[in-house]
Amino acid sequence: MRWSKTGAGLAVVAMCCALAISGAALRQQPTTDRQAVQPGTPSPEGQKHAPEFFVMIDPSHGGADKGAIFGEKLMEKDITLRLAREVRKELEERGIAVRLLRESDIDLSLDRRAEITNEQRAGLYVALHAGRPGKGVRVYAPALTDAQQPLAGRFLPWESAQSAALGRSKNVARAVSEELRKKGFTVASLTVPLRPLNNITASAIAVELAPDADDLQSLESQKRQNNVATAIALGIAQVRSQIGAHQ
Amino acid sequence: MIPRHFQITIALVLLAILVSGIVIIRMTHKEEALTLQAAEAAPAAPMVGGKQEHIQLLLAYDEDQALRWRPADIFLPADRNLRAREMLRSVLAQYLQMPSPHPLAKGADIKDVYFISDDTMIVDTTAQFADGHPSGILLEELTLASLIETLTANVPGIAKVKFLVDGKERETLAGHADLVSFYQTAAVHELAKEFE
Repeated sequence: MRWSKTGAGLAVVAMCCALAISGAALRQQPTTDRQAVQPGTPSPEGQKHAPEFFVMIDPSHGGADKGAIFGEKLMEKDITLRLAREVRKELEERGIAVRLLRESDIDLSLDRRAEITNEQRAGLYVALHAGRPGKGVRVYAPALTDAQQPLAGRFLPWESAQSAALGRSKNVARAVSEELRKKGFTVASLTVPLRPLNNITASAIAVELAPDADDLQSLESQKRQNNVATAIALGIAQVRSQIGAHQ
Repeated sequence: MIPRHFQITIALVLLAILVSGIVIIRMTHKEEALTLQAAEAAPAAPMVGGKQEHIQLLLAYDEDQALRWRPADIFLPADRNLRAREMLRSVLAQYLQMPSPHPLAKGADIKDVYFISDDTMIVDTTAQFADGHPSGILLEELTLASLIETLTANVPGIAKVKFLVDGKERETLAGHADLVSFYQTAAVHELAKEFE
């Protein structure tokens, strides 16, 4: 009897130890791309061929890649993550499904960002940035400066994977720019050869938040981020039917 | 007993030695800093001769978020590769001066420029050009557009341009602008119009 109690006790202690060790291992395990996808969504494998439309929001940079540095400690990677969460909230309020490419401060290469977006068959990819100079917001549509002939079969040249969606991307950029202007922002609409936009097969745009004049704190302003997020969501909602599900 | 005037003399001599020591150390540091500065500012490739020519450079102006053509008189050699390199270096020289319309890091320079086919050019920059480049989509795109447009406006027959950093391929200039792809100059010309 005494031995069985001791055995049970040891088993409980062993289980607790195992749980603690596995918990610690999970915490220490580097966050993988899939873990970075919005929690609550089914596994990427399960969604690989899911036909429903969703927007992939990419809070650019992260981990060792800090992006632009403003002042002493304000980093682009943090601004983009906060803005991404705002955009997700605004889109979900409008009934549009959203996934975030990263939820925490992790490293993700540009190619990996495009791979995840393409694998999960996003309907739209939105990269968020923050940078000097100027003021207001800049909206970028992709530009292919290295046009390549499509390969035979189902594969696309990586550097110009965007080619089929270029027109739709420009429409989204136009709609988002228009909504930002309505909110009173100074908006510059530009086309640039920007990675990973050119490697994305779905419609893709980038939005860059610029500080108001020399007021770097404006990049952190909750009100400003809310307004930008609302405008992005309104623009996307407007062209949602034109973009459609991933082809 | 040491006489008082002797004590004062010794004290003054010691003080003079101390002061001159401090002055010498400071001068040495200043000299080292100047030497380092000169080394950083030294060109990555030797200057070349040639005759003075009047050309147009497309320069980036951060304040206005714009690109503008500016005339320049520079010495250009006959060799096509060297001509291209000197033009690009003239653009970077504008960015490295103070005040600068589009500041770049010290040591930003063009190491080499060469054709890999009749119409495809490789531009090899110093590590400082990319490592110290301010991060931001617009800032990076302005730099590349300014360099590519200046090249194509002054060196006929360039259809594609690719950038290397210290002889190696790099994913982006400073986190944004693509450095992997070959830039088709015709496409860049269209994009640059948006900034002019």
